Formats: sequence, structure tokens, C-alpha cells
Amino acid sequence: MFSIQTKNLKKHFDGVYAVDDLSIKIETGQITSIIGPNGSGKTTLINTLSGLLEIDGGLVVIEESEKLSKITPHEIPSFGITRTFQNIHLFEQMTILDNILVVLTDRQVFRAIFETHQTFHLKIAEEVLTRVGLWEKRGQLAVNLSYGQRKLLEIARALAMDAKIYLLDEPFAGLFPEMVKIISGIIKELKQESKTVILIEHDMGLIRELSDYVFVLDSGKLLAEGKPSEVLAKREVIEAYLGE
Amino acid sequence: MNIIPQIVANSLIAGSIYALIALGFNLVYGATRFVNMVPGALAAIGGYTVFFLFNRLGLNIYFSVIAGVVVAGFFGYLSDRLVFRKLRSHKASNLVSFVASLGIFTMLQALISILFTSQFQSVLSVTENPKTYQILGATFTWVQGLIFITSIAAFVSLALILKKTSFGKAVRAVSDDEEVSKIIGINTNRLISWIFFIGSCLIGLSGIFIGFDIGINPTMGLFIILEGATASIIGGIGNVYGGFLGAFLLGFVENFGILKIPGEWKPAIAFGLLILFLIFKPEGIMNKKK
Repeated sequence: MFSIQTKNLKKHFDGVYAVDDLSIKIETGQITSIIGPNGSGKTTLINTLSGLLEIDGGLVVIEESEKLSKITPHEIPSFGITRTFQNIHLFEQMTILDNILVVLTDRQVFRAIFETHQTFHLKIAEEVLTRVGLWEKRGQLAVNLSYGQRKLLEIARALAMDAKIYLLDEPFAGLFPEMVKIISGIIKELKQESKTVILIEHDMGLIRELSDYVFVLDSGKLLAEGKPSEVLAKREVIEAYLGE
Repeated sequence: MNIIPQIVANSLIAGSIYALIALGFNLVYGATRFVNMVPGALAAIGGYTVFFLFNRLGLNIYFSVIAGVVVAGFFGYLSDRLVFRKLRSHKASNLVSFVASLGIFTMLQALISILFTSQFQSVLSVTENPKTYQILGATFTWVQGLIFITSIAAFVSLALILKKTSFGKAVRAVSDDEEVSKIIGINTNRLISWIFFIGSCLIGLSGIFIGFDIGINPTMGLFIILEGATASIIGGIGNVYGGFLGAFLLGFVENFGILKIPGEWKPAIAFGLLILFLIFKPEGIMNKKK
């Protein structure tokens, strides 16, 4: 079964195709990595899948039932999708705890006005913040966290969404080895929980360690796909990375 | 005779009106990040709705006030649904949004002039013979007492909603990062329209109170939005708590300022204070320096 499929997906900027007629299938419950040199369209793909960029052509199929030619960002949680960002996005002026609690809020305006946070909200928040080691700092403003802690909070926010599909855009970038270990542990746990993880990453060691399947993009097109050990050994993939 | 208690009372009353304006202004600014002129006209709409229902039609004063607040809120909501939401979807610059708001402001102001003439109008007949109270040597009317109490109540309610409820967290989230708010499932367009409604209700209420205290005219909105923006910048633009603080600081500085100089200089004092803040502390009292 496939969590996400793209069918002839297109996204262009002023005539330059960042995602060009891309058709891929992401299998459910697996860790799928999307790799490629800078400017190959990886982040554009994630932004298109999460509705932050409009689809210019083709379709996105979610769980083989929802065929979408337009994705509205605020609707993606209802499809069981969540994401993190290459450049960390947090609610900077809110506390760590509130960064998680806001994810759990009621989306109906009138109900939300009268909804205060209940024990079960706090329990979820405690669970995810403990998982990333930030529960003790829950009262601090997000803006005051270190770079690594900010990455962890972003992951915790995604975990609190309890999604089926996680789009993780360079979650390891710029992290110390201890934090890499925490996040790779979380990604492995997500797989054990039968969640689908779509990972954008540049570190080939981590790609080999974590991925079940790899797609390689180059100039918005699919260059290669397959198991990591096979794909990373392909001549065209090496050439694309080396720019030959 | 000691005039200080009276100046303190006047400062608190002025600060209360500015606070209502600043609360509404900052709420909307926090979510949209552009200086919106429309709330100025909405204050006039609030005042004129009460004038029409109470003075012209003779309806109950409480009903008229509630109607005035809701009508101002509705126009604010409508301005977002019909204009600003579309501008957001086109990723219009802040300058374009500001010019659009100026256009709506001018249009609404002209509409009020056509419907009610440009003459100054007195809203509440009791202002001609106001019942007064005395506390610690300061005299104030019951309307002024009501303005002060309502302003504090509005601030406390808003602060509690923002801090304690899911809705408040969503509002703070949208003010902080609209893109992430969408990703976590907040329909930011719908929420911003509601923020416009609530902010416009508060500003409509300030217009009604100004009508009760001194009267209304169609161009009152410009003064209101300038005072609201000044209080907001002093306190920390986009920061609801800062705006409240800035409003009272403005009220005190203006009223103590005219102790030694003529009252006509009041606006000059306000904008002098604004310029000082813009030069020496542009982030305002409550916002952190970036």
C-alpha cells in the first residue's frame, strides 16, 4: 500500500521547473529518503506535498483514495500528514509547552474560545517533550532555545500531531552527534509504529542507516530509485552529486 | 487646590480609551503585520450606530451599545473577507495592504458624512447633565467611570483568552508564524477574519465611549487610529499587553504635559513621545530588541 503517490507532478517558478513531471510512490510504514544535489527540487516537492506551494500540474494521491490537484496547507493534518522545515519554524514567542499545546487545540472558533487545556492535552505534551528531552524546559520561550533544541522541539511538535505521514526536511542538519542519535532513534520508532517517514537528507551515512527506499532527484526529475545500497552506487547518482 | 488627583483621573480615562483602541489595533496588527487604517473608521461606525439607534430611533441604550459594537465588528470582519483575505492570497506587500486600508477608511468616512452630515454630534443626552462622582479629590462622570472599568475588563478578558484558551493559543500562533499555523491545521484565513471581528468590536466600543464622553464626527477615526498606533508603538507593536501599557503611559504623558503648556499641544506631546520612542526604543516597552 502507498501513503503518497505523485502522478506527473509539476511545479515551476517563472518557467523553470523545480519539480518536473514527477511520478513516485511512497510505501506505507517505511522510511523513504529523497536525495539529490542542491536545487534538485527536494524541498519544493515537500512544500508542494504540504500545500505551501500550489501544484502546477499533475496529482498527489494520498493513501490511494484522495486524489488532489490542489492542497490547502491547513487541511494536510486531516490527511494525516505533518512536516518539519529545513529552516526551523517555531512559535518563537510562545513557551515550549504552548508550542505543543497549540497543536492539540480545537479548530472550531467557538469551541476553541471556551476550551482550556485538559489533563489529556498536558499528558500528550509531557509524552512528546519527554521523548525529545525538553519537558524540564517547558516553561521557556522557544526563542531562547539552542539550535539543536529548536530542531528537537520541531520534531516534538510533529510527534504531537500523531500523523500517519511525516515529511522531515533535513532534520539532522547542523546537529551534534548526540542529537543526531536522538532524532534517528525517533525516526526508527516511527517506523516501528508503522508510520510513513519521508526524509530529505544529505548525510549518506544516515541515508544508508535509516532508509528503506531512496528516490534521487536531479533538476526536478526522477534520476534513480531503489534500495539505498543500490541507488547510492549508481554512476548517474554519483555524477549528479559531483556535478560531472 | 491640588489638581494632581484630577490630572491622574483624566490620564486614566484617556488611557482607558486609548487602551481599547490599542488592544484592537494590536490584535489585528499582530495577525496581519501591516498598519491598518480601517479600525479608525470602525470606531466612527460604532459611535454613529449608537447615535442612530439611540438618538434617532429612540431604542434602548444597552441594546444600541451592543449593536454598535457588533456592527463595528461586522464591518471589520467584512473588510477582511472582501479585501484583505484576497490581498493575503496574492501575497500583497504591506504597503499595498496599507493603501487598501486607507481606501476603505476614506470610503467609510465619506459614507458616514453622507448619511449623518459632517457636523459634530452629541450621543448621550446625559452628557449634558452628567452625574458625577468624587474619589480622592478627583471628579469624574459615570460614563468616564464606565470607560475605565470596561477598558480594564476588556484587557483582563482578552489576556485570559489569549493565555488560557485554545483560541488564544491559535491567535498567538498565527501572530507568531502564519505558515506553521497552517501546517498544524489552523485555518488561518478564517481565524484572521475572527481576529478582525474581535479587534473591530473593541475599537467600535472605544468610538462609542468617545461619543459618550465628548461626541462624534465622521473624521474622528483618524485621531483614533493615530492615538491607537502611537500607544501600540510605545508599548510594543503587535503586543497586546504592551499596547495596554503604552495607552496608559500616553494618557499620563499627555495630561501631565498640558500642566504647563496649553491643551492644544496635547497631540504634539503624544507624537513627540512617539518620535522619542522611535529613535531610542523602536521596539517599544514590551517587545524584545531583534
